[in-house]
Amino acid sequence: MKFSIFRFNPEHDEKPCMQDYEIEPQPGEIMLLDVILRIKAMDNTLTFRKSCREGVCGSDAMNINGRNGLACITPVRGLKEPVRLRPLPSFPVIRDLVVDMTRFFKQYHSIRPYLINGEPPPEKERLQSPEDRDKLDGLYECILCGCCTSQCPSSWWNPEKFVGPAGLLQAERFIADSRDRATRDRLDDLKSAYRLFRCRTIMNCTEVCPKGLAPSRAIEKIRLMLVKESF
Amino acid sequence: MSGLRAWMVQRVSAVYMLFFIVFLLAHFLVDPPRSYAAWRDWVMSPAIGVSASVFGAALLAHAWVGLRDVILDYVRPAALRLSLLGLLALALATLGVWFIRIVWLGHG
Amino acid sequence: MRRAVFFNLARIGMPVGAVTSIAHRISGVLLALGIPFSIYLLALSLRDPSSYARAQNLLAEPMIKAGAIVFVWALTHHLLAGVRHLLSDIDLGSRLPVARRSAWAVNGAGLAVALLAAGVLLGVEA
Repeated sequence: MKFSIFRFNPEHDEKPCMQDYEIEPQPGEIMLLDVILRIKAMDNTLTFRKSCREGVCGSDAMNINGRNGLACITPVRGLKEPVRLRPLPSFPVIRDLVVDMTRFFKQYHSIRPYLINGEPPPEKERLQSPEDRDKLDGLYECILCGCCTSQCPSSWWNPEKFVGPAGLLQAERFIADSRDRATRDRLDDLKSAYRLFRCRTIMNCTEVCPKGLAPSRAIEKIRLMLVKESF
Repeated sequence: MSGLRAWMVQRVSAVYMLFFIVFLLAHFLVDPPRSYAAWRDWVMSPAIGVSASVFGAALLAHAWVGLRDVILDYVRPAALRLSLLGLLALALATLGVWFIRIVWLGHG
Repeated sequence: MRRAVFFNLARIGMPVGAVTSIAHRISGVLLALGIPFSIYLLALSLRDPSSYARAQNLLAEPMIKAGAIVFVWALTHHLLAGVRHLLSDIDLGSRLPVARRSAWAVNGAGLAVALLAAGVLLGVEA
């Protein structure tokens, strides 16, 4: 199979280039990450992040033939050749397929991704009914891989001001949590022209989420809540 | 204008315009104007005058939100952005007054 | 430290919904640009019988006809994509499989209506 991989070494290169590799996937190699690891064995200057190899850590998020995804859960056979591997779009590239996630995490932290409850802590834990716990399904599973936000045009144009799909999904995760008491503040924080309302429901985020989550739908829920709250 | 208010204006104006446009299309299919006189009488009728004026206001408000979104997305320098938004407001207000004049006076 | 970025729009995939969305924006801008001329046409048609006739003749001009076809596409696409947005606002069709189908439908319908308008406007010679 033919691969074409984005290469950039800031110590040597003026600008990035695409390097071609040819490699035949062995019978046991099902996922793209398996093949990339063997390419690295051939060319050990190739740099990328990887960890769990089972789609739960989010380290190996990259752009595969134009669409973001996790290399460890993307089957390698059937990919259109040459398989073009590039770093997540619009994020600053540190080296090869490794991107700087600082801005991404800054937006995540800006929505206060932790339970805010001033009430005195109970004996054991803050109780939550099964029905209330169900409301967190589709929200808590985010692995913060960055696939959604780096595929979102609104994030491309205003990465510093627009929170982005991942951050907004987590905002909804805490707004929907029955144990959280800061709903009003969380909603107020998102009323500006930029924080949430740059979203135009393009839905690229939901298209590429490797965990099957729907940030666009979470954003809609927040919007409806903002509308309800304003009357 | 806050993001929420702009978004609501955009949605509400869209719904009104949707109904008005469907009404217009239906009217022109069923009863197209046969002459200048018939056309003018219809446009100048009070019901059309009022609903078309509301449509004009809705259209300009909707265009304001949409074009503002384009400017907010692509224009980074703050001073340029504010100037363009100001110019946009002026242009749309001018078009609005022009439209209202036509619909109530029968000429530009 | 030298930095690079991958941002080649030609190489970044555009799912069908993204096409619907950018066309929604482009059609919106086109419609907005068409407002002044439309108001002018309205004023012309109301002034007096000869102006009314002039307005009708204007619509027979090839350049205006071309513009009218583009206008029809823009209005149809913008309206249908807008309805799709309004429905997803109230959580109808927000899930991916339906959203993809509705995106294809909107894209296709806009083009189909524009082709129809082209057929009517260009096929019928006065």
